[in-house]
Amino acid sequence: MIEALFNYFNQEYVIRALVDVGSMTLFFVGFFGLLTQRHLLKIFMSISVMEIAIFLFFIGSIFNKTYTAPILGDGHTAFVTMNDPIPHAMILTAIVIGMAVFALGVSFAIEYYKLTGKTDINDINEMREK
Amino acid sequence: MSSIYFVALPLLFGFATPLLQKFGKNGVAYASTGMQVGLFLLALYLMATSFWAVEIISINPPLGISFVLNRASLLFVFLFTLLMMLFSFYYLGLRKTDPFPSENKFFILINMVLASSIGLVLSSDLFNIYVFFEIAGISAYILSAYHKTPKALEAGLKYLLTGMLASVFLVFGIMLVYIHLGTLNLAVVSQTFHTLPFNMKMLISLLLFIGFGFKVEIFPLNFWVTDVYEGSSSLINSLFSAIVVKAYLFVFFHIIYLAMPASDFAPFLLMTGAVSMLAAEIIALKQTNLKRVFAYSSLGQVGLIFAVLSLENSAAVAAGFFIVIAHSVAKMMIFLSITSIEREHKSVDIATLKELNSPFLTVMIVLSMLSLLGIPLLAGFVGKFLALKSFAMSGEFVVLGVIIVASLIESIYYFKITGNLFEKGERRRRLSLSKSQKSVFVTLAVLLVVLGTLPWLFSGYIQDASLSMVDTESYVNLLMGGLK
Amino acid sequence: MNFKRDIATRTYSGFAIAALLILTILNILLQIGPPDIQRAGDQLLAMSADDGVANAVTSVVVYFRGFDTLGEIAVLFIAALGIGLMLSAHNRTTHEESNYILKKASRMLFPMIMLFGVYVMIYGHLSPGGGFQGGVIVASGVLLLLISREEFEVPHSVISALETFAGISYVLIGLIGLLVVDKFLGNFLPNNISQMGMLFSGGVIPLIYIVVGIKVGSEMSMIVQNLIQRSDDD
Repeated sequence: MIEALFNYFNQEYVIRALVDVGSMTLFFVGFFGLLTQRHLLKIFMSISVMEIAIFLFFIGSIFNKTYTAPILGDGHTAFVTMNDPIPHAMILTAIVIGMAVFALGVSFAIEYYKLTGKTDINDINEMREK
Repeated sequence: MSSIYFVALPLLFGFATPLLQKFGKNGVAYASTGMQVGLFLLALYLMATSFWAVEIISINPPLGISFVLNRASLLFVFLFTLLMMLFSFYYLGLRKTDPFPSENKFFILINMVLASSIGLVLSSDLFNIYVFFEIAGISAYILSAYHKTPKALEAGLKYLLTGMLASVFLVFGIMLVYIHLGTLNLAVVSQTFHTLPFNMKMLISLLLFIGFGFKVEIFPLNFWVTDVYEGSSSLINSLFSAIVVKAYLFVFFHIIYLAMPASDFAPFLLMTGAVSMLAAEIIALKQTNLKRVFAYSSLGQVGLIFAVLSLENSAAVAAGFFIVIAHSVAKMMIFLSITSIEREHKSVDIATLKELNSPFLTVMIVLSMLSLLGIPLLAGFVGKFLALKSFAMSGEFVVLGVIIVASLIESIYYFKITGNLFEKGERRRRLSLSKSQKSVFVTLAVLLVVLGTLPWLFSGYIQDASLSMVDTESYVNLLMGGLK
Repeated sequence: MNFKRDIATRTYSGFAIAALLILTILNILLQIGPPDIQRAGDQLLAMSADDGVANAVTSVVVYFRGFDTLGEIAVLFIAALGIGLMLSAHNRTTHEESNYILKKASRMLFPMIMLFGVYVMIYGHLSPGGGFQGGVIVASGVLLLLISREEFEVPHSVISALETFAGISYVLIGLIGLLVVDKFLGNFLPNNISQMGMLFSGGVIPLIYIVVGIKVGSEMSMIVQNLIQRSDDD
């Protein structure tokens, strides 16, 4: 019984559907948070969740389950039948950049809170609106 | 001679600033300005010798990253280095009386803006463009919130939130391109993009449009711009509207020309640009804050540039380049003038202009507004005239009408401002500008007048530049051949 | 009442908009799966055999796409600069003494964390890891110290010197590559394939990654210290 379940989930199209649906659900959660939350830090967190969802989607789409990790060792001596290393590099860069901008945003929010005591995004109206 | 110096040197300067601090209080300022003068001279030399090249970084394209310096990108590199150099000279004059706090960080940030804007224009790799996008963005967010007043922090927060959102969609689009086309190089994308199924093409285009749309400041996605301009200091606004936005425009249309030439998206882009201009000019009528008025004016001109560049033929692109140059020079003049006015009068309300007592600044402001409007004998006229001609030749008469109506509306509030400048009333004491600041204004004014009265001196180069931008075949051959 | 209804409308409309967008995207994604094509990464994988580096991801991050890594370093640098500008760590008041267990355990753990971080940095080209990962581990060690000791402050001049040195050396390595092999960030140190798997292999790649590690470690430590500051009116 477990065997059959395992074999079912190991098929290509099931894995692809799981990756797509799963990462898009996470993206939905983040986007929903972005649209409805009002606290500044929660908005930052929602955008962060959206970013993570996209990285998950990317890695899941490129992944080939018959290949192994792109590194020599454990008996591998040649760069064949290995997964694509470019997505790893891209996501590494994107994670660091996302984290840097997030930290900067948090510092803006902290400083703004120290000066005015406001964290609700609807209350931020220092400038006269048109 | 290598185009990498334009990006590597400001980066090196930024990293090395704590060392340069040891050379006294003015060390960083003079080193930064000196380096920018050097870069400008390099750009001038490259333009004079009609240099073009593909600069290979690490490995050959199409597998690696490369910088393509053709006439179009060289034009923009020249424009950016020139404006940044003039900006530094103005600041050298300003810092004698009103230096920015933590000045060394300020110099690092403006050099990062320069490096990333030039990198955006030169790069030929999608993910590299994303990285430069982020560098430009993050320097801009900090510059926006630099003075740490509640207004500035609000501006910084708004800019940062919309920027983060833009990056999310842009990364999504780039990742989809890699999954389905297997490449990140613009030349290969150009060759294979049309083979995608229609659904995926639409999705990727939509994602890239949203990602770039926030930064290119077109209609539905530019709600954040005016608040950011009002909250940041006017000195920074001049950088934003003269350099940063133009870099994003160039990249956006570069990608469009390469990946989707003559597509069905062109009418949509055209309409978006026209609507953007009209909406911005109408809303500008009710503004009383100088920074907001000129922010809306910027949005309007950017809408015009967007509309004219979406026509995708060489004449239209040449018109677009003319408008870009004229607008950048004029906006830099205006925002630098507002900086001086704000320093003296401590307020940026339009009514403050009645108290302005500086014939020099009055002439400068009126000159730049006339250029933006499109009065003959100034640079803006050439650009607008060529743009209207392109619209007429493509048969887009509705857009032509919209642009003319928007320009008329623009003239209303420009005349209101001019009226305030010349109104008889009580004047404060005379506003004095240092010599370096005056020379900056004079240089910019001379540029406007020369471009306006003798356009044929430059039109040859700008025609070549626009040809090389629209000519995707040679771009692709250049990169696939991997020449140096 | 009005307030509750406001929140309800916003929540429902947000849900509807988000669901609409996501469902259209999901539809398109499910219809068109990832095609089975030869991607740029596969060709780079084959090329990395000539590099002499065992970890293909490292050779992609540092060498084939080294310019993106330089840009990423610039972003981190500017972010640390901005956070330092916004929250200066000057007003740090003493707070309660931290837990006894924390204090004693951190004395044991800190050297091990630092050692592990440095190991990950240096062996980045042989085993999974590298400059970014090692730098973050080092910064977490610094965070441990900041939490467990009240008067600990990362010495600003040391961090600044390390960061400057690392940043300048990265760009200089690139420029030297430009002058020597005519490509910015080209590999100009010897990198025989026979050396693959040894510590000194891959030419300029482990050097760059160590420099990246130093920079990331020092910048993350500065960010962490600035964010942990407490002010008087807390």
